[in-house]
Amino acid sequence: MSHFYLFDTLSLHAGQTIDPEFGARAAPIYQTTSYVFPDTDTASSIFNLERGGHAYSRITNPTVGVLEQRIAALEGGSAAVCTASGMAATFCAITAILGQGDHIVASTQMYGGNLSLMKNSLPRFGITTTFVEPMDIDGFRAAIQDNTRLIYGELIGNPGLDILDLEAIAAISGDKQIPFMVDATFNTPYLCKCFDFGVNINIHSVTKWMGGHGLAIGGVIVDGGNFDWGASDKYPTITEPYAPFSGMNIWEEFGPSAFAMRIRAEAMRDFGATMSPMTAFLLLQGIETLSLRMDKHLSNTKAMLDYLTSHQQVTWVNHPDLPSHSSHKLAKKYLPKGAGSIISFGVEGGRDAGKAFIENLQLASHLANVGDAKTLIIHPATTTHSRINAEQLVAAGITDDMVRLSVGLENIEDLKADFENGFHAAKKIATA
Amino acid sequence: MHFKVNGKQVFASTGGKPFDKAKPVIIFLHGSALDHTFWGLHSRFFAFRKYAVLVPDLPGHSHSEGPALTSIEAIGDWLNNITEVLDIDNISVVAHSQGCLNALEFVSRYPHRICTVSFIASGLATPVNPALIDAAENQPEDAIAMMIGWGFGSAGHLHQGPIPGNSMVAGGRKVMRRNVPDELATDLKACDAYQNGKVAAAKITCPIPVIIAGQDRMAPRKATTELVEYLNDAEVHVIPESGHMVPQEAPNKCRQLLKIFIFANNPAT
Repeated sequence: MSHFYLFDTLSLHAGQTIDPEFGARAAPIYQTTSYVFPDTDTASSIFNLERGGHAYSRITNPTVGVLEQRIAALEGGSAAVCTASGMAATFCAITAILGQGDHIVASTQMYGGNLSLMKNSLPRFGITTTFVEPMDIDGFRAAIQDNTRLIYGELIGNPGLDILDLEAIAAISGDKQIPFMVDATFNTPYLCKCFDFGVNINIHSVTKWMGGHGLAIGGVIVDGGNFDWGASDKYPTITEPYAPFSGMNIWEEFGPSAFAMRIRAEAMRDFGATMSPMTAFLLLQGIETLSLRMDKHLSNTKAMLDYLTSHQQVTWVNHPDLPSHSSHKLAKKYLPKGAGSIISFGVEGGRDAGKAFIENLQLASHLANVGDAKTLIIHPATTTHSRINAEQLVAAGITDDMVRLSVGLENIEDLKADFENGFHAAKKIATA
Repeated sequence: MHFKVNGKQVFASTGGKPFDKAKPVIIFLHGSALDHTFWGLHSRFFAFRKYAVLVPDLPGHSHSEGPALTSIEAIGDWLNNITEVLDIDNISVVAHSQGCLNALEFVSRYPHRICTVSFIASGLATPVNPALIDAAENQPEDAIAMMIGWGFGSAGHLHQGPIPGNSMVAGGRKVMRRNVPDELATDLKACDAYQNGKVAAAKITCPIPVIIAGQDRMAPRKATTELVEYLNDAEVHVIPESGHMVPQEAPNKCRQLLKIFIFANNPAT
């Protein structure tokens, strides 16, 4: 059988054609708004999607294109479209196929921004959502309505870390002919290729582990190419003639990359949530070492789990790799290398002790991000999930004493020493 | 568009324009287990330049009703049936891989409606390794991997491609997954059994270009050279950097060759 390049190799090479003029080894930064056409026929054919090529960097750009094709390759998707942020990716992906009167069934355990989008913002555009506990598979099926057009979740729920049973939900998605979209930010394609389990569309905040350096905000939508948009009349934006492109039927003409092409033709052109070439370049540098970094994230996470679970001042530790976690079996199935590098835990002494713990760390940075090479820590109830109500906090598995830790790549002994300083300060509060 | 041939539903892409049989017609023929989307970077171009474009899914493939046809000769007849149902002539046929075998039978036996035929990445015959046929029937994912693995050249394997953001290799896999195991196995058996290439090629008298892919591992240069020897005055073009899937891997060069040839030999007014 012919050999296919494997993950590490694709991380370095996929999507890049060597610059024919100067032979630049790194993907060049094409910092340009627009492109000189060799003739009018070429210009019109690019505008009319008769041929590939670049016309204006809001729609496509060669540097961004390398990143898109690299991520598509790593995910096993037919196409990818990069966006200005992960939230832009989510919004553009949803609005590509949903409109006024349509409905989403979504997991309760999601990033606070996603929850807010579905709870507060999308209803203003006539798109409503029913939220279901991630482990409640029957609940997903029961929540589907005649106007449901999307099932949405995160493989590793944020921040409760429940694992979504992809195959079980994909079976519902298949039965109902409704696409299954997953925010795969926390797993990356190195830990799980969601399309192998029936997911149809992946979203990433590539700001996180994919980039890994914390330098650039970005998102990506990956088309799994495995959803039959023509099987029903539910998705007219894909299967009906699209007026801005001379009545083009995107499903007929682009088949397995129809969804991505719709994003390109509408969201990039009309909404303009574009990734910049410089951002794409920075993210490409990160993706080159994705597998190496993820292995170190996982080994540090394992060591940190051992440390925290045996620490006297830690009241509880939550991570799917722990046998005590309710999703442990699912984690073994979908994430055999490890269930990511986010740990949540409680500090003895409650909210004030937790606050003292965080404020007395030196290495671990107190900030609202995850997936950086550096270790990050935050109190979700007062920050990332502060805009959702008490009921939603409970549904998302967030408690007052919860500390969310994004384990970085530092030497584990240095991290433990840093945490000891934090625990020392927390103890003073707890015993005061 | 959809229409019926022999009582069965057929889908054919028209390149984004309504099909107008008064115009010169171009029929694009796809290869084994593929479908009309293979020609996406060609069909739309010609449809917007005053040609009536028809890219049929073979029976059983993607949007066309099955079952798949079991011989190249039967597919040749079926293509002629399409021309009769739609009542079209002034036809330029553009064929790739198995599509070339189909074109050999179609054009040689029903020449009266044909203006030109273009052969891309094919020989006079396509003997198929029994292991591939067995895989197509019993381990279709393995068969797809072989086809895609051999089909694409180095650029394809690095997920490069002419459409920003798109992976040709992954897209090819997704299309083939719609057409296994039955259509792929049937197509491969039909290719393997086809023996009439030399006779058919010698009968074709219309203008012919042959496009050869320099990195082709499925239709090697020797096989294509033999096809050229039996054709009457074929003009030969080589695209050195491409693998077998040349219409996708080198679409701009391939389209330019087709454009020059078809515009000259079957002009649209």
